[in-house]
Amino acid sequence: MTRIGILSTAHMHAHSYLSAIETLQDVSVTGVYDEDTGRGRQFCAAHGVPFRGDMEALLDESDAVLIAATNADHRRCVERAAARGVAILCEKPIATSVADAAAMVQAAESAGAPFYMALPVRFVRAAAELRKFVRAGKIGRILAMTGTNHGYMPGGWFIDRAASGGGAVMDHTSHVADLMRWIVGSDVVEVYAEIAERVHNRGIDDCGILTLGFANGVFATLDPSWSRLKTYPTWGDVTLEVVGTTGVLALDAFAPRVHVYAEAEDGQATHRYDYYGDDMDLWMVDEFVRSVRSGQRSDTLATGLDGLRALEVTMAAYESAERGRPVAITPWQP
Amino acid sequence: MLRALIIGGGAMARTHAEIYRRLPAAAVVGVVDPDARGRRLAADLQVSYSESLSGVDWNAVDVAHVCVPTPWHRELVVEIAKQRKHILCEKPIARTLADAEAMIAACEQSDVRLMIGHCVRYFPEYVRAKELVDAGRIGRVAVARLFRGGSFPPSDTWRDWYANRNWSGGTSVDLMVHDFDFLRWVLGPVARVYAKSTYGESNRLELTLATLRFQSGAIAHVTGSWAHAGFGTRFELAGNLGLLEHDSFKAGTVFHEAAALPAREITQGVQVPGTHVHKSPYQLEIEDFLDAIVQDRPFSVTAHDALEALRIGLAVEQSALTGMPVDL
Repeated sequence: MTRIGILSTAHMHAHSYLSAIETLQDVSVTGVYDEDTGRGRQFCAAHGVPFRGDMEALLDESDAVLIAATNADHRRCVERAAARGVAILCEKPIATSVADAAAMVQAAESAGAPFYMALPVRFVRAAAELRKFVRAGKIGRILAMTGTNHGYMPGGWFIDRAASGGGAVMDHTSHVADLMRWIVGSDVVEVYAEIAERVHNRGIDDCGILTLGFANGVFATLDPSWSRLKTYPTWGDVTLEVVGTTGVLALDAFAPRVHVYAEAEDGQATHRYDYYGDDMDLWMVDEFVRSVRSGQRSDTLATGLDGLRALEVTMAAYESAERGRPVAITPWQP
Repeated sequence: MLRALIIGGGAMARTHAEIYRRLPAAAVVGVVDPDARGRRLAADLQVSYSESLSGVDWNAVDVAHVCVPTPWHRELVVEIAKQRKHILCEKPIARTLADAEAMIAACEQSDVRLMIGHCVRYFPEYVRAKELVDAGRIGRVAVARLFRGGSFPPSDTWRDWYANRNWSGGTSVDLMVHDFDFLRWVLGPVARVYAKSTYGESNRLELTLATLRFQSGAIAHVTGSWAHAGFGTRFELAGNLGLLEHDSFKAGTVFHEAAALPAREITQGVQVPGTHVHKSPYQLEIEDFLDAIVQDRPFSVTAHDALEALRIGLAVEQSALTGMPVDL
């Protein structure tokens, strides 16, 4: 029996991670720690799992932890878990500064604690197939990519800079930046960004367009905008188009959907997309659990270092927007 | 009867000419083109043919359509202006700002009307998008995403001119200029651009990804592609009150016989997008051109608009070449 603890329920994905564990065999939730006691107890009551007010006590009884804390709190959680040699799957973005991310990666490395990032798009079967296609040269040499990870404005701590580190760009760069790096096997060396606060008026960036230059010459654009309002039929998307010298591949990760036209409780007409595709969180947690159980490194999960590389792109974007020019990434080296 | 002269012999010349078949009060009277294509077009239309402007009887002409490769717009427009004939010239207005300004000046000097063929302003989905934005349906536009793409123009155009960026301007100037004009129409003046392109690729493909920042603060992402298989266009405008999107690949038609039509009309040369409505955007454009002349009212899209769209396209080209953002 693999014992998994959950550190914080600040991020809404804590619910889906818990559901994933409950679905899997031979794994149990030892407990849930939350710095917000009221929120934590409510979460635990709803899911029927033990609440732990003390993180150390939870780490004591866990083989691995899933971290769903605020972005700024990832470092504390990862360092504490690493110190106990507990395996880690941490929400994105890795942290709110590259310095924090570097400390986290080093802490885990020194302690020999496996440190993975919760970047589930790698576990959409179509994404893996697209990567195989690209790697097999089926569309020739890769020239350029266009990616989107649109979303709604999540509110709460996501728009509190002290807790989130930034708005849409901080929230929605990681998935696609990681996907792109994973697919082309090269790192981003330069970023240019146009960023604005224009959709929501909440005092934090909510839209933008990033342009990425990769070490191998590929260029890409990335749209992390919180441009989906409650009137849009779904929360957002993850799309990627890859243009090669002999063809084009397009991925729409959430394309598998049924359109539902029905009334809401208030009698209003609604149209919603009902997604029935891969439960990417489940497959990701499954791989994490497999890795923990076997003691073998995963070669499909994004690592803490991958998370750091995605954050370097994010921070370069903010700097570029500030300076009004492209910014070269000086990659952190372990 | 309004009498139109067609200068050119390629796909756009033929497109313009064939619109006249549907106009009761106007007709093509001649074709001017040094190339055998022009001679064939004239024969197909059963109108007179001349290798150059010097062979034209200007007394028998009211308006001229310039449908030749971009770098030759200037000399033809300047010459036709001297003959005091009104002109519909294909987009982009010119290859350089200096050429464009000279064309505008020559027409002003001769008191001649000059319209540039920014036909996207007549594509109903773009017209509707503009109307919806102006009506406030999506509030203040924050981020726009536009796609215009198809395959690389075939090599059987005149001297394969699209493949020569010195002539055509490539995707930034020839293709994306449509979207730059549309965005300027909807979102106002552009402050700066940043772009990447695959210039230098030899595989007969080209892709440009451009980011536009508007003076208003809005942001647009524009894809211009000669690297895709089938031609289509897409747009998404996201605002603070709503979002509108369109995808020509999915824009079906209610006409039964349309199922048998090809998705694009392949004329000899450049692909011209297939149309889904009774009156094609090209017909609306030409009717508007002629009506504006007859009614002596302003053009819906002016030569100045075309000049500004070209300015954006050239800035995108420059950014892609230099790797730096370009202020307008």
